[in-house]
This record gives sequence, C-alpha cells and structure tokens, in this order.
Amino acid sequence: MSAALLSLKVEHLRGSVVPFVLRFEKDKNLTIVYGENATGKTTICDALEFLAKGRVGSLEDRGLGHRLDRYWPSLGKRAGDISVSLDAADSTCTARIHNGNVKVEPEQHRPRVEVLRRNQILRMLEAQPAKRYAEISRFIDITGVETSEDALRRLIESLNANRDTAVAVVAANENTIRQFWEGAGSAGKDPMIWADAELRKDLLTLQQTALALSQLRAAYQRLGDYPQKFEPATATLRTAERAAAETVEKLENVLATATNEAGELLAVLEGAKPYLKKHPNPTACPLCESNEKAANLRDRVQQRLQQFSTIQDAQKEKVRNDQVVQRAADALASMQADVQRDAQKFEELKRGHQWSADIKLPEQPAPTRPDELDVWLAVARELPASWLAFEGAAQEQRKFVDTLSRQLKTYRDNVATQQELDILLPRLRRAHEILVEERQKFTDGVLKKIAGEVGRLYEAVHPGEGLEKIRLELEAGRRASLEIGASFGGTANTPPQAYFTQSHLDTLGLCIFLTLAGMDNPEGTILVLDDVLASVDEPHVERVVEMLYLEAARFRHCVITTHYRPWKEKLRWGWLQNGQCHFVELNKWSLANGLQYVRSIPDIDRLRQLLAEVPPDPQLVCSKAGVILEASLNFLTELYESDMPRRAKGLYTLGELLCAFDRKLRQALKAEMLSGTDASDKVIYKTVVLGPIIEELHRIAQARNIFGAHFNELSFELPDADAIAFGTQVLQLVDAVVDSENGWPRKEKLGSYWANANETRRLYPLKKPV
Amino acid sequence: MESPSTQLATLVIERLIKEDLLRPDDRGTLLSRLAEGKLKQEDWWLAVELSEAKGRVK
Repeated sequence: MSAALLSLKVEHLRGSVVPFVLRFEKDKNLTIVYGENATGKTTICDALEFLAKGRVGSLEDRGLGHRLDRYWPSLGKRAGDISVSLDAADSTCTARIHNGNVKVEPEQHRPRVEVLRRNQILRMLEAQPAKRYAEISRFIDITGVETSEDALRRLIESLNANRDTAVAVVAANENTIRQFWEGAGSAGKDPMIWADAELRKDLLTLQQTALALSQLRAAYQRLGDYPQKFEPATATLRTAERAAAETVEKLENVLATATNEAGELLAVLEGAKPYLKKHPNPTACPLCESNEKAANLRDRVQQRLQQFSTIQDAQKEKVRNDQVVQRAADALASMQADVQRDAQKFEELKRGHQWSADIKLPEQPAPTRPDELDVWLAVARELPASWLAFEGAAQEQRKFVDTLSRQLKTYRDNVATQQELDILLPRLRRAHEILVEERQKFTDGVLKKIAGEVGRLYEAVHPGEGLEKIRLELEAGRRASLEIGASFGGTANTPPQAYFTQSHLDTLGLCIFLTLAGMDNPEGTILVLDDVLASVDEPHVERVVEMLYLEAARFRHCVITTHYRPWKEKLRWGWLQNGQCHFVELNKWSLANGLQYVRSIPDIDRLRQLLAEVPPDPQLVCSKAGVILEASLNFLTELYESDMPRRAKGLYTLGELLCAFDRKLRQALKAEMLSGTDASDKVIYKTVVLGPIIEELHRIAQARNIFGAHFNELSFELPDADAIAFGTQVLQLVDAVVDSENGWPRKEKLGSYWANANETRRLYPLKKPV
Repeated sequence: MESPSTQLATLVIERLIKEDLLRPDDRGTLLSRLAEGKLKQEDWWLAVELSEAKGRVK
C-alpha cells in the first residue's frame, strides 16, 4: 500500500480562486466531500486528475474546442499560476504548467489516479465494442503474443507445403528411377539398389577412353589433311624450278650477246659504285692507280653501268626465281617434317592408352612420308567413325549417370526432408495448439475475472441480479471488440443497454469502473468518484454507499464527491459505517473566498464534545441530546415493533417513544459493547443493561423541553447538573447501542441478537418478548 | 503490473517447456521475444528443433 495522503493543496485551478487545502484525516482512506451544487466538488476531482494525468476531464465533451487548457486557470489567473500539490506521508509532489505542458515534480511521485465522473458512468456501456475493448485493453492486449503465434502458424503452413512438395518429388523421383531401372532390364528387385550400383560403376576409364579416342581422331584428321596439301606443294616447287631454269638460260643469252667478259665487268663497275660514292672526285683510278682518265670517273662508271641494265634485269629475275624455288622447297620440307611429327604423335597416342578389345586401331604405323599417307589413310578410313560412335556412347552414358545421380540425390534429400518434417511438424503443431489454448484461456480468464468482479459488485447493490449474470465476450470474428451481456427476465446474455433501467445501467457502469480501477494496483491508486450517486435511485443508494465503503478499503485512497443529502444525514446520525470515512462539507463557493469546507462530525460525537466543554452549555447539551434520544428510541421502537399510536406522518413525542417499551422488553433489553480481546485473543464484550437507563431517561426527560427545546422560565430554577445528567444519560444509552464508526445494530445475527458492522455492538433480545 | 502479453507469454513458455517443446535454457531469450511479437518463423523452427535434438540426446 502506498503512503497515506496528508493534504491536497490547489491554487488557481478552476474554482480555487484562492489557495485551498483539503487535509485528509489520519487513518481514514475514504474522503466524502459533500456539497450543494457550485460549491467546488468537481475542482477537487479536477485537481487530482490534473496532478496525475495532466488533464481536466470535467471540461471535456462540452463543446469547448481543443484548447481546454485555456479554461483551467481560475478567473483572472494564468496557466502559470496553477499549482496542485499532494502531500503524502512519504513524499510530496507538485504539478505546474511549464511551456504549455503540465510538469510534475518529482515525477516519480506522481500519483496514480482513476477518475469517474457522473457523465462518464455509462461510457463503458454505451461505447462501441471497439472503444469498449480499448478500455480493458491494458488487461487483455496480447498483440505481441498474437504476432508471434501468427509467425508459428505461418511456419506450420509453409512447412506443410514443403512436406507436400517433398512427398510429390519423392514420388516423381521414384517413378523416374523405376523407369530407368526397367529400361535397363529390371536387374535385381529394387530400383534404388540398382541405381546405387549403376552409380558405383567405373565411369573414369570410359571417359578416359573417350578422351583418348577424341585425341586420336584429331591426330588422324591432321594426317588426313596432308595428301591434299602435298600435291600442290610439290607442283609449286616444280613450277618454280622450271621458271628458275628458264631465267638462267635467259641471263646466259644476254651475257653472250654483250661481251664475253661483260658479266665480270659489270661486277667490277657495280663494285666501284660504293667507292665512288664515298670518293666522288678521285685523282687516280683506284684499280690501276693511273691518273690519266681519273677526271669524271664517277660519271663515266655510271654511264657504263646503264649500258649493262638488261644484264642487270636478267640477273635480278634469276635471283628472284631462285628465291621462289627455295621457298617452295622449304615449304615442302616443312610439310614433310610436319607429317613426320604428326605421324609420331599419332603413334604416341596409340601407345599411350590401354585400349579395350572392342576398339579398332590402324594395324600399320602411320607413315612419316607424305607420299605414303594416302595408302595408309585408305586402309584406316572406317575407323574414325567408329571412334566417334564410341565417344557418343560414352557421352550418353555420362549423361545418364548424371541424371540418375541427380534423381537419386533429389529422392534421398526429399526423403530426408520428409522424415525431418514428420518429426518437427507434429511438435510445431502441438506448440501452436498450446499457444491457442493458453491465449483463449488467458483471455477468457481475464474477461471472466472482470465480469465476475463486476457481477459481485452489482450483486451487492442489486441482490440476485449480479452473480454469474454479467458476461464479457470478445466479439467472434472481430478484432479488439468487446460485448457486454447480462441476464434479464430469465434470458441470459442480453445487452443491458436495451433492457436495464437508467438506474441499473448507472450502477452497472459504476461497477465496471470500480472493477477496472481495482484490477491494476489498487493499493497504489487514488479513486475519485465525482457525483456518481446522482442518478442511482433511492432504494439502491444505501447499498451503493455500503458497496463503495467496502471497495474503497482496497484502494490507496478514495475521494467521493456527492450532493446527495441523505448520505450526509445518515453519516450525521451514524447510520452508516463511518470508521474509515472522513466526511467534509463544502460551503457555498464565492469569488472572494473560493472553496471552503468544514469537517462534519456525527451528532453523537458532537454531544460528546458539548459534554466535554468547560463549562458545558445546558441548552446545547439538552437540545442535541434530545434529538439523539429521539433518533435512538425511534430506532429501537421500530426494531422491536413497539405499540405506538398510529399517525399519518409517524411523528412522535419523546414521551410517547419512552413509553413504548413495556416492562418485559425493558427487562430484556441489553447491549454488549466490544471492549477488546483477552489473552487468548478472544473478543471481550462489556454488557450494559438498557432497562434502567431508559427508566432513568423517562424520569428526567423533562430536561430536554425545559433546557433544550423552548424558552422556559422553569430552567432558571433548575441546576445545570440536571441538563448535564440528561445529556450524559442519553450518551450512555446511545454509546451502548451505537458505535459511530461501525453504525447501528441492524443485522440479525445467529437468530439471537442484532449486530452492527464489525459486530462492535450487539443488541438483545432479537424479538420483543411476548 | 506486467503487460498482458508478458503474463500470457510466461504461461505459454512454461507449458511449452513442460511438454519438452522448448529447452529450459531458452526461457530467458524466448520469453521477452514472444511477448513483444518478435519470435519469427525461423526462431520457432530453431527452438522446437533444438528441443527435439535435446530430447534425442537424453
């Protein structure tokens, strides 16, 4: 339980035009604020709401627009002037407005407050189902778990689909492998065993043979190309050789027609050219060293050389043709070398592999001479095609094995997947079932708890109409939607809004609010009920009040404002259980003084105070004692159904009331007052015999009229002690019968006596003796 | 007061552990994620699979 409240100070909020302090009475966690209209009751509620929630709910839904904070300050004050402080036994916190926001300091001591106003009492009942759900969502909102549950559900769906796929794929793979198996002759009994055996077969040798054959085929192809290249090459050489021979003959003829030594001379002249280029003006012939014709030697050599151009041309042609012959001869020689190399390569390939017997190879080694190839190729002509066929078969085998391998792997993977899912899926489904079960159980439990609590409270006000008869249900098929049902006229689960009277609806609304406020940390919550009794009809008010008394004890504190006057009067006369109750009465509000209150105390306590004054005032004592005696005798005569004159308005004099107890009743009347407990914790009662007190009161009752009712000269002659004795005797009677904190003994107990709340008073007999 | 989601998540996790559908060691990590709606499909898969594996080891 949070610390007790000490006081609430309100400055310049709404009606608090001057600072107002409401001091809470020690050890009483129920404060009833009574006041006529316009005394400031709602300002007290506003202050607690302002402090706890930073808002003033009494201004809401009044068509004042959005800026309600404009109306928060008292007349003539500004937002910054507002201050609300709550002083508790362990802390103090204050709310003020800073920069348009309500700021509470220290924040950690901001109180928890739940406010219900008269105009909100039907909020839960009249709201749309979705809004109704919102009101209780803090107890029932399990969106997080639902999201996780949805993920689990989708996982199960997805894995179910995966399993279905795996099953289908397994069937398809099985079918394919079976077809392969049947195509291969259905060896053995099990296609899968056959497939495994197929995959274990030696594919490497097959592939190596296919590769070797491919290389051998290429080598054969290269050799096969030579014959068609060899003939042209040979022809080219022969043509070049013929051309070269013709050129030689032509050169010889040219030289023969020139001089016998023209050739040698031409060589000499050609040889002189580089020398004369380097020495353009020699002084002597470089050959004979004569200087006789040395002048213009260079020009004359050039002149002689031109005369030999035909010879030069013939010589150049010869050189060219010789080169052509050489190139043709080189090409042929190169081809011969290639043939030799490729033939050797072919033989190496032939020797380099371990051929199986079914592969045919050329019996003769490949010739190294081009001119011998034709014959050799002709003999082996059919072989490359058989090699190619073998290669194709090997490739097909490879493809088949790959396909079979894939089929088998997919089959086994999917079988494994199916087996894993067959283990996992039932567990996931069970987990989902548990989630759904627990969610439904939790939700139903919370709703049932709320409905049960509402029913319990409602039953306290309307006996026989609440227990097991209020239902809360989440609307099927709609998210976050709440329906309220109640029993009416024997029909269960009808909407109360349709059949209940306004008073019943108000009670139900109040019960719902109290239930919800009490579900979340009630011992830390200040409950504020602003004039909620206004629409409860008279026959039920007393039970509502009793119910509120009982419920208030669960909360940190409860503040109830009311303008219901009978409540005030019943408190005044101690008819209600006042032990936990602090009753204050607000005076008329004024602009000058704002809110003001007085503490109302029961009349019995007031009489006690009057008797304790020094000196006591006889008139006041007798006046108060007389009224209390009338109330007490009224109670007792009704309880024992005493014989009284029948009157229209039931008004009786004190004398008539005192005479209403016959001798047998006077002798039987006794009260037991709880005085404590003994060593074994057993309660101890002090017995007070009431007959003598009533008889004594009968004897001195005149004091009431003489001192307390009228101006009476007789009072001049009587001692004040007579008045005090009357007051004391009344107090003795009423103290014996009534405990102002626990009320009057109205409840029949064990068929033998009457008792008040908490049984602090017992009254005997139960019935008037006959 | 714990949120309703956390209250429910606690009940669910304890029941799943009791039925050997979750490992007790995973309680701490799974509770808050379940309550906050952060348990994804793969988390459920792993958690339930691990509990099954643990059962096999036992």
